[in-house]
Amino acid sequence: MSQVTFISPQGEKIVVKNAMGNLMEIATEHDVEGIEGNCGGVCSCGTCHVWVEPEWLERVGQASEIERGILNFEDNSNERSRLCCQIEMTDDLDGIVVKVAN
Amino acid sequence: MPNLPYHDPFKEERKEHPAIATEFDGDPVAMILGFKEVREAARNYEKFSSDAPFRVPIPREEDVRTVRQYPLEVDPPVHAQYRKIVEPFFKRPTQPEYIARMGKMIGELLAGACQRDSIEVVREFAIPLQSRALTYLLNMPESEAEVWIKWGTHVFRDASGVSKGAEMEAYCNELFDQAEAHPGEDFFSALTQASFEGRPLTRQELLGYANIAFAGGRDTIINTVSTIIAYFAGHPEELNWLRNDPKNIVVAGEELIRYTTPLTHIGRLCPVDTEAYGVPVKAGDLISLCWASANFDETVFQNPETVQLDRKPNPHIAFGNGIHNCLGAAHARLIVRTLLQKLCEMASSITILSETRNVEKEAAYERCNAYAELAVIIQPI
Ligand code: HEM
Ligand code: FES
Repeated sequence: MSQVTFISPQGEKIVVKNAMGNLMEIATEHDVEGIEGNCGGVCSCGTCHVWVEPEWLERVGQASEIERGILNFEDNSNERSRLCCQIEMTDDLDGIVVKVAN
Repeated sequence: MPNLPYHDPFKEERKEHPAIATEFDGDPVAMILGFKEVREAARNYEKFSSDAPFRVPIPREEDVRTVRQYPLEVDPPVHAQYRKIVEPFFKRPTQPEYIARMGKMIGELLAGACQRDSIEVVREFAIPLQSRALTYLLNMPESEAEVWIKWGTHVFRDASGVSKGAEMEAYCNELFDQAEAHPGEDFFSALTQASFEGRPLTRQELLGYANIAFAGGRDTIINTVSTIIAYFAGHPEELNWLRNDPKNIVVAGEELIRYTTPLTHIGRLCPVDTEAYGVPVKAGDLISLCWASANFDETVFQNPETVQLDRKPNPHIAFGNGIHNCLGAAHARLIVRTLLQKLCEMASSITILSETRNVEKEAAYERCNAYAELAVIIQPI
């Protein structure tokens, strides 16, 4: 079963086992600070911004053109930025670590 | 339906230029139309400033209020501090009790509407809904909504455009007098006890917060509600689709918000001579961030003039973008999602009896924005 770790802005680690759905849904279900998911995952609100830890970047894959366009104008945005509502949890991502960017 | 799909009045201009030179009430305004350009400009507060009392909304509002609105009409660094003071109230819509109250209230309003032979959506449904919902956000007794309902769609101007802002300021002054004498748990009391840079807020600042709480979240919500009801009257199959799969409600709600974009645009003041995407702007003049154009930009949204309830991704900016993004968005989204849920549960079909559209007639465009009047029959399930 897949596990995901969120690192909050204060450096607190929230580990979720048996994670299902997209990372924004998982984070909001577990009250991860800084992930609000206001728009429900349609790429509109930008309240689900994370930095993917470098070793996971390749497996997570590229942001879509629309998502990239949004991220370009977000605060604290860098090349590891993603809107985590666009990252669907899969077996392949078991163990993934992301940092909350907001 | 003749009035659907929504007609985007900025389409032709936007294809040619990302911004146009126009005017509102004789003031020159550079209107930014492209999605990318609006987002970029919304984040450039040094070039495009909000430190402009009465002039962030277009047309200007000197005639309808005497106070600067907080945190709308300030720039960094103070903006963050002003915003932080009220943020806890705007987070209330995620609380389970709040969600439950919203469900109960909208359910009751809709049940009442279903029992009637017909109902005028703006006055008999959207305004009461908006006013009652606002009591939850501001943590006021629900009975206070009766006062707010009487204000009509706009708190500032009556139907003929005449100012009635003084009435609301007098009401807010009374609220703050009361809050100072007997503080409770409501928004106004919290403000009287807040501190800004180590001092209490001044009466002007208090009034400025109250002003936008009443004005900003009023016609926006009312217009969104009437547009949604009219949309489903014209598209019964879409309501059935949603009913069969209510897990689509959140995504559908975002699309209906994009489609409505009830706040057409908002202004920013340029402190020095500059240029906005090809349009020269003089120091002291305005630019406008046109959310309604950005949300129909065909380089971002496929078939933008068609409502696609399952549109995803849907990076609309109806709630603005950047540091001033709408504080009331969580509340507004809850209203829309709850309305959709209750329509699915309770309304089998909606028939329009008569309608009058609101039309924004400006120098550069005419935009239909919701309804001045919308009479419907709502058939219960
Ligand atoms: C569908 C409904 C709504 C829409 C489309 C909407 C739209 C917007 C937009 C576009 C902005 C950005 C303004 C700017 O960039 O200068 C904004 C800001 C704001 N809105 Fe809303 N709004 C809605 C409902 C509400 C409600 C219900 C409230 C509260 C009662 C509210 C309170 C505010 C406040 C306080 C700001 C200023 C935030 C800041 O400057 O930091 N809005 N809104
Ligand atoms: S949840 Fe809104 S952009 Fe991801």
